[in-house]
Amino acid sequence: MITLSDIRFQCLNIDTLTIPPGITSLIGPNGSGKTTLLRLCSGIAVPDSGQILIDGKPPRETETGWVNEFPDKNILFSRVSDEIAASLRFRHAPCHETEESVRRIADTVNIGHLLSREMREISGGEKVLVALAAALASRPALLVLDEYDSHLDRAYCDRMEMVIRESGASYVLRCTQNMETAASSDHLIFIERGMVKYSGTPDTVFTSLSSTSFYPLSWRCPI
Amino acid sequence: MAVPDMRLTVDHATVQRGAWSLFADGTFSDGIHLVSGVVGSGKSTLALVMAGLFVVTSGTVKRDGIKSMMLSMQFPEFHITGLSVAEECESWGLDTGTVIRSARLEISGSVSPLSLSRGELKRLHLACILARKDDLLLLDEPFSSLDCGEKERLCSQLNARSQGITVIFTHEQSAFPRVDQIWEIQNGELFNVGKMPEALVRWQHAPALIKKLLDAGKCPANLTPDAIREAACRTHGSG
Repeated sequence: MITLSDIRFQCLNIDTLTIPPGITSLIGPNGSGKTTLLRLCSGIAVPDSGQILIDGKPPRETETGWVNEFPDKNILFSRVSDEIAASLRFRHAPCHETEESVRRIADTVNIGHLLSREMREISGGEKVLVALAAALASRPALLVLDEYDSHLDRAYCDRMEMVIRESGASYVLRCTQNMETAASSDHLIFIERGMVKYSGTPDTVFTSLSSTSFYPLSWRCPI
Repeated sequence: MAVPDMRLTVDHATVQRGAWSLFADGTFSDGIHLVSGVVGSGKSTLALVMAGLFVVTSGTVKRDGIKSMMLSMQFPEFHITGLSVAEECESWGLDTGTVIRSARLEISGSVSPLSLSRGELKRLHLACILARKDDLLLLDEPFSSLDCGEKERLCSQLNARSQGITVIFTHEQSAFPRVDQIWEIQNGELFNVGKMPEALVRWQHAPALIKKLLDAGKCPANLTPDAIREAACRTHGSG
């Protein structure tokens, strides 16, 4: 379990929150604190007060993969294959092992055709896919995805859903503004003005949001 | 005096970048055009070509009757020039308070635009763009980062544009304004799928919900939530 207690940080004000293993989606209005919560859970930021534990360990002691919606902020290398290989090279993995892993992950994410390309040449959606491949390379226990899906087409979204499910990560935390994606999660958290308003299964949370624009359109339109 | 028709013509334009290429040939007239395509198909490149910011390998781009145009790039960070929200609004020649109210943000003009959440930054950027009322509006992924309520509000604002050409390049799956024509990029070529609603049955990149409706024999009149709800609730065969 991921447990948060007495968190105070920037706009966030969370007394207690428990996140079970599996895929958890964070939804809510712009500026409500979704990305801030992801930054805390991934250890990028540390709360002013309170505690976060991932299976009993602090976030910075947990292997974490991070995918930003604006991937240019996180790009380190100019070539796609070097970007995916980064985390393996930083830990001095043998070259042949790194090359094999990069090839395998690129095939899984369906970006094998991009490996020799320069990062500056590829599209915004392709950069998100490279960031996802780079995050998966370290076999993270926690995979954090910040609105990665808003730059992907439907086919890639479907494929990434499968890749994420099969990634081996115990926890996937993601922000999304696509309520159909949110509905396919194991757990859903609705944040508003820095506070967790609803947390539970998609059925439970969306029932509480049935009168809002967050309710999935497909649920309003049973065919 | 009658306002001349506006037309954006992409005339046999090609872009060649190594093994990757894009070919576009078509005319965009008044109304809302939706351009879809898989990741990396060339939507952003086409937007740049239409805006005159990318030199084509061959062919031409003509803008008839278009006096002003604006390109909204995929990532709002690329547009920022001011160190504060007030400076940013001034750089667009706009009043800060008016823009903040229009974006429905609860912020001070003195904060850095880069301190805003990505969704808030997108709202600020779109408020600046929509305040200008340009004849040609090229919107690359305008819905990304916006929450569901803001997506609906943007659709209403686009629907309310009284005239001009709006071209939306997007992967969005559920929030759409009232679209006039659908285009898609397939295998490096731009195709005019057609006018609404006839285009829906030919649209390869149609959202899952639209495909499901069509499979059930229910063709919505448009892509707006109201049109989709109407089609979903329609008795089979009545449409």
